[in-house]
Amino acid sequence: MNNSFARLIDGMCATLRQEVLTRLDDEFARGQVFGVINLLNTFKVRADWSAGFLQQQIAAQQAALEGVRELAATSSAAAGLPAMPQDPLPAVVPVAELLQRRDDGNRAIGEWLAWLDVGCQALPGDTLAGIERLLRQAMDAEVQIELRNSPRPLFAEMSSGREG
Amino acid sequence: MSAIGTDEELTARIAAYLTEQSGRTVRVGRIRRFPVGFSWLTYLVPVSGLDDDVGERELILRLGPDDGLFAPYSALPQVRAMQSLEGSGVAVPRAFWHSDDPAILGAPFLFSDKAEGEAVVPWVSPSEPPLEEGLRIRLAHQFIDSLAELHRVDWHGKPIAAMAGDVDEHNAALRSVQTWEALIRRWQMRPYPLADWGLRWLKTHCPRAPRVTIVHGDYRTGNFLQVDGRITAILDWELVHLGDPHEDLAWASMPMYKGGTPYIGRLAEPDLFYGRYAERSGIAVSMEAVRYYQAFSLLKLAATHMAAARCFEEGRFNDLRMPAMGSQIATCLRQMVKTIEATA
Repeated sequence: MNNSFARLIDGMCATLRQEVLTRLDDEFARGQVFGVINLLNTFKVRADWSAGFLQQQIAAQQAALEGVRELAATSSAAAGLPAMPQDPLPAVVPVAELLQRRDDGNRAIGEWLAWLDVGCQALPGDTLAGIERLLRQAMDAEVQIELRNSPRPLFAEMSSGREG
Repeated sequence: MSAIGTDEELTARIAAYLTEQSGRTVRVGRIRRFPVGFSWLTYLVPVSGLDDDVGERELILRLGPDDGLFAPYSALPQVRAMQSLEGSGVAVPRAFWHSDDPAILGAPFLFSDKAEGEAVVPWVSPSEPPLEEGLRIRLAHQFIDSLAELHRVDWHGKPIAAMAGDVDEHNAALRSVQTWEALIRRWQMRPYPLADWGLRWLKTHCPRAPRVTIVHGDYRTGNFLQVDGRITAILDWELVHLGDPHEDLAWASMPMYKGGTPYIGRLAEPDLFYGRYAERSGIAVSMEAVRYYQAFSLLKLAATHMAAARCFEEGRFNDLRMPAMGSQIATCLRQMVKTIEATA
């Protein structure tokens, strides 16, 4: 794929709006098209190309260029030709692991909240307030980050099947 | 949808059922599904041969599919509410045949009268012009008066009394919070500690209800029909229960339903809404209770969005409005926190 992820999303949304919706009469179907546009807009701010296939491409390049260098090692004329950078590739963390980590963290926060109700009598009030404040900060941060990465939902368009 | 089958299969089943129920040969025309609603499926059913009708008449069929948002469904709460409100000042379609037996039409169902009119939707795009002022005010008054009338209904001895359980003025809030806590546990696909935090606050700040009334449960713009500024029907009774009337006031006044206007439900100035309601219902409105139930409403809406996300994730629906709703959980929880903080 030779276009940027974001540009492709923009192109798909524009095509749906200009070429599909203008030829589609059914109200429910039009609402669903707006649903697709809504999701594409979400992907634009939250998604990118998968790293997996890029790693495979880079590994193939690496193997080829290292092989070429070995074969041409005796040629002084080839000394100035480029090689692959030797720096290790940045580690790619599987998103599933990050999701699991986030959920584990949220589960822990939930258990701390429940503990505040039943098991914390031994702690002084300001300590309890401090614990609750920290838990709240983490919870608030999660939703604020979520909201910063959410496009305006197209509920009106999805319900009416009409452009806003 | 598989148990309901195709439109042709459903049409044949409807004809057979209505024929059996009426003892007459009932013919069913081309049924049409409305694009509205996220939960029950709503169909327009043209029939002829019912009663003494010689011509065609239109019925509304609501089906609660086993893969729906709030499944498993029962038609009983809606039927009980509609029957209890017959003859009251609340405009409700008349309920006819109903059953929770999926063997009949593939899902629990309810037939009712078709009310004339159009819905005023709460979600409007920024370019949508506001409602014409005279229309807005006429609808606002009826929107308020219908709610006041609903809450004035003496439900004791009516079919809806079967849903009373042990609810009273002291436990109405807690019972409702517990109901929704159970739904959140059922629907959430991952932990939401902010929802837990909200539940914790709601349980420890329960207001006392001024009286136990019929609570519509989804009373808002979008759930009534109107013709030329006259409200012809209050719809969507699936969340009806007995509880604190403030629950309906708070739900109707959620920011999501203002449609970018300063008006509750795109219709009423807040002072008019609460003042006229109190006057017509005879219930003194506690703004503290309204704010409590507004926070609760935002949590309920977040829970509904959790249900939508789960429904889509499990492949029960491919309706793309579902993941869009699911993306709004954080918005609702954030507003719930702000509402609680403003209350403290």
